[in-house]
Amino acid sequence: MNYKGWLLPPALRDFHEGRIWLKEHTPFAKYDIEQAINRKYFYIIDGIQKIPRVRCNRCYNDNLHDFTEYDCSKCLQKCVYCRHCLKMGRVSTCTPLLIWKGPKACRIKQHPLQWTGQLTAQQQRAANELLESVIAGKSHLLNAVCGAGKTELLFQSVHYALEKGLRVCIAAPRADVVLELFPRFQKAFPQTLIHAYYSGAPKQHGYAQLILATTHQLYRFEQAFDVMMVDEADAFPYSFDATLERAVQKAKTSDAPIYFITATPSQTLINQYKDSYSFIPNRYHHKPLPVPYFCSLWGYEKSIKRGKLPRKLKAWTEERLAKNEPFLIFFPTVELLNLAIPLFQRIHANILAVHATDPERKHKVLQLRDEKIPGLLTTTILERGITIKNVQVAVVGAESTIFTASALIQIAGRVGRHASYTNGEVVLFHHGVTLAMDEARQNILANNKEGSNDE
Amino acid sequence: MNKTDKFCLLCAQPLHFAPSWQTLLLRCFPPCICEKCKGQFVRSTSATALYQYNDAMKAYLHQYKFLQDVALAKVFRQELHAQFKQEKAIIIPIPMHPMKQKERTFSHTEELLKAANISFTQLLEKVTVETQSSKNREQRIQSAPLFRLMPEAQVQHKDYLLFDDIKTTGTTLRHAKQVLLEAGARNVRTFTLING
Repeated sequence: MNYKGWLLPPALRDFHEGRIWLKEHTPFAKYDIEQAINRKYFYIIDGIQKIPRVRCNRCYNDNLHDFTEYDCSKCLQKCVYCRHCLKMGRVSTCTPLLIWKGPKACRIKQHPLQWTGQLTAQQQRAANELLESVIAGKSHLLNAVCGAGKTELLFQSVHYALEKGLRVCIAAPRADVVLELFPRFQKAFPQTLIHAYYSGAPKQHGYAQLILATTHQLYRFEQAFDVMMVDEADAFPYSFDATLERAVQKAKTSDAPIYFITATPSQTLINQYKDSYSFIPNRYHHKPLPVPYFCSLWGYEKSIKRGKLPRKLKAWTEERLAKNEPFLIFFPTVELLNLAIPLFQRIHANILAVHATDPERKHKVLQLRDEKIPGLLTTTILERGITIKNVQVAVVGAESTIFTASALIQIAGRVGRHASYTNGEVVLFHHGVTLAMDEARQNILANNKEGSNDE
Repeated sequence: MNKTDKFCLLCAQPLHFAPSWQTLLLRCFPPCICEKCKGQFVRSTSATALYQYNDAMKAYLHQYKFLQDVALAKVFRQELHAQFKQEKAIIIPIPMHPMKQKERTFSHTEELLKAANISFTQLLEKVTVETQSSKNREQRIQSAPLFRLMPEAQVQHKDYLLFDDIKTTGTTLRHAKQVLLEAGARNVRTFTLING
């Protein structure tokens, strides 16, 4: 005897729960989707909302310049589409979006935490404060200097939320940070299904209760998460694109708390979270943060364009090579980076360069970590979230506007993170000192002072 | 919507455009991509194409046709307008199969001409849904008829110009040309945006 009815494929439910997805792009069979729609398992909304104002219902973009009107051959009238989230598959007036409201996936309540590390007293205090906020279900701001061990002190809270049967999302502005966090979380929660979403991520199956994602990927979720953690909330592009902030709000359930975790919170963020705020001024190994020093490199741009490496920069690089220390050199623009790389390769053939659109970016950072190459030239993409043992850092053109105070603090924070190499060089090569450079230095000095009082 | 662009359509960098007497008097289109992006497209040496196929073109076609970014039809409007404004022949863009067009929601060749403000007529219709890009060279050259005349289409004893986005082996254009010539066209020339 054959069963003639339709059974909901669990994979369809697992995939669509919490997501807002283009009907045309669903990975499931048309028949199954139609059946699910007939059973009212989906809530269907227009891709572009017109009233009260034009807005993309996926990315919440409402900037008129990002919409284009065209003669649609499908509906034979004028349609509008959103260019802001185009790369995720085009959303237009005539493409409906699906939101799951059918039966919920079953959530597992057993998520053993296998992390054997020891938190310092300061970390423990902050972790407890965070956990209290999670239990109370209220938002919290965690401000901790670079290398304070922020990831580790999240484990307790994430563990608590998972075992309560809550769905947790940890969002970071950049794919590099997600890629760095993923193995650490998987190691800490070996029996938990964790999904990592970033542009170009592989297909992942099942229903993950813990999701690591770039803030861009949150466009694709709606009312999905009971606990929302935003790492590095001050970083580009999160702080520059208002739709990302809205995406965070949209991706969480309406009463879910948000936890901001950052080393360089803006004043507005601090004011907002005055009564649930934790601060860690010390690194986990209790050594002070390396303080950047300024070094003039007048006319570096001209010099590099003429095909000559400035003397001081060359000397610095050669010193690193002689001492066998891995190094990162930050550049303000991709153009300058491309001009500089052949000059550096004349000193040592294995020095490589990475930038945002480099397909081998992951691989090159790994090579540096494994000490297969002596150093990397980079744009600001590597300013945060990466940890390399005994790395030394130089910034070329520190006066450029792209190096804001928080960017410089983050860059300086790459140095001396490992317990056996707590010191290192942070040099800002400049063509004039900017306020941002001063601010970054003052901030680090102040944190060091507070840290030594706290001991 | 569809106003002067303030950001480059390809790289989203701000556009700095100051109208000059030249742009006003010659009635140029305002730019919609930045100089840097523009510099990545290489002009073709061929008399029947505007550009050469390269990585920048590949990325452009991907975003325009595959990601369905209709706004990108504007990118080459100035060049296409200059090319076609003196054209005496009747311009016919290569049509898509109606089903394919419905899928893509627009016809890429027609949108290119519309953006450049060039009038055109349509006499042909595509009969196969197969794409040329899914076939190899031999299969392309030996393929069955791709086009037929639209019902009630009147081909006059005049000059025609077929327009397509890209030419690789020339099979598509050859098929379309043959249909028109057999229907009584005096002369049929072809022109493409890109030479593959």
